[in-house]
Amino acid sequence: MKRWGMVIDMKKCTGCQTCTLSCKVYHGLGPDVVRCRVIEQETGSFPAVERMLFSLRCMHCNEPECMKACPTGATRRRADGIVTVDQDKCMGCRYCALVCPYQARTFLGVEKRYFPENGNLWENMRYKEHQVGTVEKCDFCQKRIDEGLAKGLEPGKDPAATPMCVISCIGKALYFGDLNDPASMVSNLIRERKGFALKQELGTEPSVYYLPRKR
Amino acid sequence: MIQQVKTYCNQCYNGPDPFVMNVEDGVVKSIEPDFDCEKFSPGQGRVCVKAYGLVQKMYNSNRIKNPMIRTNPKKGKDEDPGFKEISWDEALDIVADKLKAIRQKGLTDESGYPRLAVSMGEAGAPAAYGGTFPAFLSAWGAVDFTLGGGEGSKCYHSEHLYGELWHRGFIVVSDTPRNKWTLSFGHNTNASAGVSGVMRHAEARERGYKRIQAEPHLSVSAVTSDEWIPLKTKSDAPFMYAMIYSILYELGWKKVCDLDFIKKRTNSPYLIGPKGYYLKDGESEKVLVWDAVDNCAKAYDDPTIKDAALTGSYRVSNTIEKGPDGEQWEYKEASCRPSFDLFLGHMKPYTPEWAAKICDLPASTIRRMAREYVEHAHIGEEIEVCGEKLPYRPVGISLGKTINNGPGGYQACWARTILAMLVGALEVPGGTVGASQRLNRPHHDRWSSVWPGEDGFFQNFLNPTDTERRGKLQKTRSHYTELVPLVGNTGWSPFLSPVPHAWLWYNETPENWSKPTFPDVWIIYRVNPNMSMYYTDMMLETTKKFPYIVAFGYTIDETNWYADIILPESSDLESLQLFRLGPSTHSEAYWEEYGFGLRQPGGNLPYNTMDMTDICTELSARTGILKEYNDAINAGVILGIRLQGKGYNYMLDPGRKYSREEIWDGLCRSSVRLLTGGKEEHDLEWFKKHGYFTVPYPLIRHFLHPVMVKWGLRYEVPYQGRLKVVGEELKKRLEEKGIRWWEEQLSEYEALPKCEDYTKKWDHVLKKKGLNPDDYPLFLINTRSMHFAWGSNTCLPVLAEMAKYVTGFGGLVINTKIAAEKGIQDGDTIVIESPLKRKKCTAIVREGIRPDTVVLTGQFGNWAMPFAKDLNIPSINELIEPDQELFDAGGSSCDIVRVKIYKEH
Repeated sequence: MKRWGMVIDMKKCTGCQTCTLSCKVYHGLGPDVVRCRVIEQETGSFPAVERMLFSLRCMHCNEPECMKACPTGATRRRADGIVTVDQDKCMGCRYCALVCPYQARTFLGVEKRYFPENGNLWENMRYKEHQVGTVEKCDFCQKRIDEGLAKGLEPGKDPAATPMCVISCIGKALYFGDLNDPASMVSNLIRERKGFALKQELGTEPSVYYLPRKR
Repeated sequence: MIQQVKTYCNQCYNGPDPFVMNVEDGVVKSIEPDFDCEKFSPGQGRVCVKAYGLVQKMYNSNRIKNPMIRTNPKKGKDEDPGFKEISWDEALDIVADKLKAIRQKGLTDESGYPRLAVSMGEAGAPAAYGGTFPAFLSAWGAVDFTLGGGEGSKCYHSEHLYGELWHRGFIVVSDTPRNKWTLSFGHNTNASAGVSGVMRHAEARERGYKRIQAEPHLSVSAVTSDEWIPLKTKSDAPFMYAMIYSILYELGWKKVCDLDFIKKRTNSPYLIGPKGYYLKDGESEKVLVWDAVDNCAKAYDDPTIKDAALTGSYRVSNTIEKGPDGEQWEYKEASCRPSFDLFLGHMKPYTPEWAAKICDLPASTIRRMAREYVEHAHIGEEIEVCGEKLPYRPVGISLGKTINNGPGGYQACWARTILAMLVGALEVPGGTVGASQRLNRPHHDRWSSVWPGEDGFFQNFLNPTDTERRGKLQKTRSHYTELVPLVGNTGWSPFLSPVPHAWLWYNETPENWSKPTFPDVWIIYRVNPNMSMYYTDMMLETTKKFPYIVAFGYTIDETNWYADIILPESSDLESLQLFRLGPSTHSEAYWEEYGFGLRQPGGNLPYNTMDMTDICTELSARTGILKEYNDAINAGVILGIRLQGKGYNYMLDPGRKYSREEIWDGLCRSSVRLLTGGKEEHDLEWFKKHGYFTVPYPLIRHFLHPVMVKWGLRYEVPYQGRLKVVGEELKKRLEEKGIRWWEEQLSEYEALPKCEDYTKKWDHVLKKKGLNPDDYPLFLINTRSMHFAWGSNTCLPVLAEMAKYVTGFGGLVINTKIAAEKGIQDGDTIVIESPLKRKKCTAIVREGIRPDTVVLTGQFGNWAMPFAKDLNIPSINELIEPDQELFDAGGSSCDIVRVKIYKEH
């Protein structure tokens, strides 16, 4: 069985947020709702200073804390490792957001708009795709993956079957593929470049790995 | 059912980048990369964060939704314009009447200035959106383009002028795909080099190239560099001068330099006569070099030269020197030295210890950079490109915008070019290369612009400095043809003219200089000069005096607030036009194919906007210049595509009004004919489906070296013989008119430029005002963010939301130690005060900035533009009052102002 995962090359990411916005536009998300983003962390003191960039999203853990906390069964982990939220089942209790060690979830409490006073054509059309009172998060663009696979495409290789953030990244810093396949690009990169996952000590077994900058 | 529609983004000068719109029920839902062009587009089919903002740009509720006319005749920041919506028919008639009135009076006014002025912004990007606007302007006649919106202070100005003069490099970059080591003096690749720049540097990092970023703050480009050198503001030229010293005198130029390149491809062996000009043979009038083997002087192109001497002092008989205004000195015997010998002597004072004090860095850092530079130069190695062996020198130096403007700009560009010269890394694979040309033609092919000129250099077309020809060119309000010989007089020249002057002279006209008149009509297209020029308050006071302003508007902004009429053009995802793809644009986006791509409407128009081509056609017809307009299109004014050629004729009937589809169909068909030598043809419908048509462009043509070898040409470095003459002539012309206020700038025309601590000039400017420099201890500088660099996107909430994730947006970045001394904490509201003005802003306290520097990101300070006006982010432009002393010979000055900061009480 496949286990979809992502590898993020910290040497190539520039923190430009093209991933963040391409995902937002593709999924029709409103103000302050993101499924992925790049955060910065400054370390050291002048003049020996660095700013680290972390491209964050749902880690699609093998042992997802969110799923354990979900009282309605809205959050589930698919056989291929993708952790999803069923908006019809989600009751908006936000336990999942509280327990997620990666702050990967956003609660859609009310429908916020960029242009609240005016009936905006795009906002009218796109916000219908989301249910107020539920939790939003990255689903590795599961629809793209599923439809792509149905067409015989290979996620991670064929753009139409690959998450938006990966295909939009202008530093080509993001890779997608099957972590269970030792010969896949993602497995090779993790092995060869000593890829690591965030907060591994928690035992969540994330499916998102980072390649160090090795400065 | 989702339909995919191909188009391109050219919001910044690094485009066009093709992409795909996902359209459903006439609405552009989202956009995606276009991987059909992955193999040949330098962005590999991807687009940056700004392109994803285009969806919001299209549906933005704050757009101007109909043409609008001003009802309040009083103009001012506090005067509500009272804009009233009108129909397109009314609006076009009103504008046409104004334009017809000009034509009745004559295109130029009593003072000789064009009565019509047009301003365009975004570094040439508007051409990708303006449709047939160039044909309208061509049909019109005399237009003044010099009332600019920030040119000179916001661009790589010195690099544009000197880069084109020396090696046809409008923008100068490292050849990143083959480069192994780059020292960047503030070149902000990750913010301003577009998709291709970001991608190429990311790929270079992956393969292990080294990049060192030297600049006062840890920019978004420094973050991904291997090393950050916290260089003091404006000390880039001293740093490079000391690197040159270290290479010449410490590492030993005979050991570490590319002597073959220096002797054959530069003017280093040219003999310099007693008066400081090139020493020429009395009969052939060719510049002489000294053959060290045959022990005699020979013409520079004499094939019998065995070894051109770089050092020594010689005596040569029967020679001449030529100076300004044709003055000539004849010598029976003249003493002379190779220019390289003079260069060696010139560089002697510039030791690393001298520079270290100015740069506020250890001398060892400068020495280490010099050593690493030559170690990575691979002198003697070759690489195969398109089947030809070329020198391979994978080292480069790139410069940022602030370095390139104002004091020290010339010196920084000269030193960078000298460093490339020393190791033979100029215009060869891996090295320092020009990415495009704009002052010379054709823009899309640098090789074709290189022809043998005087003294073994290629031809350059400077503005005349002789009495006879000077002053006979069309007058403009920046007087660039009279003040800046280097900028030439081609299509792009007015945009690179001393733009700030045109504005300043309205308010304070210098001695023996005429005050410019206001244009009868001022058209503004995709630019907001009242925000993007510095000295904002002066701009507001000036623009309110303009008699009639026609603005192509997107939202209300700080300039069209003063407009008499606003025409809302259809935006990026709504209009139709063809544009050139490749082979080179401003930055690193040099392509291995070139051709034409289509921008087309993705969905139904959400508002009552009009396609720019239709606007231009209507205005031409209503102004009575339809024939001239169609003739201009027929003749190839649009993208250089003529509508008639061998075997095809899509010429427009001069008397008929055509729809945008008809016009672009002819241009699509003719463009393919042009690219295929008449063999193929594709119509508009084909372009709508396929997006673009391209043909191969050999990689080798991106390097000037082969064409220099072919013509036996030399780069005019290190000695600036021609600039010396030009400067002396210009000085005479200005003196003849009693003009003394350009003397500081005239002193820059040196054959071997001297270097100094340029920061002292800012001290001097403060002292002139009677102020104590210690009271304004900090240098305020400005940096770009990808989100708001070009594109006129300040009004888009979604891009501000993205920018918030990046350090610097929304406030003033201050060093932690300085903040602590002043009791300032991250997030505090503070006051930033320049001698001109004080503004409130939010403190962003960080370690990654020099203690003597503070940084603002982008240009905000908006008070009229929806959304942006609520951001409350100050702009550096509000705080700068320009000073003549801070302008360079090219007419540019930089975004630097001395300030103090304190906590708000």
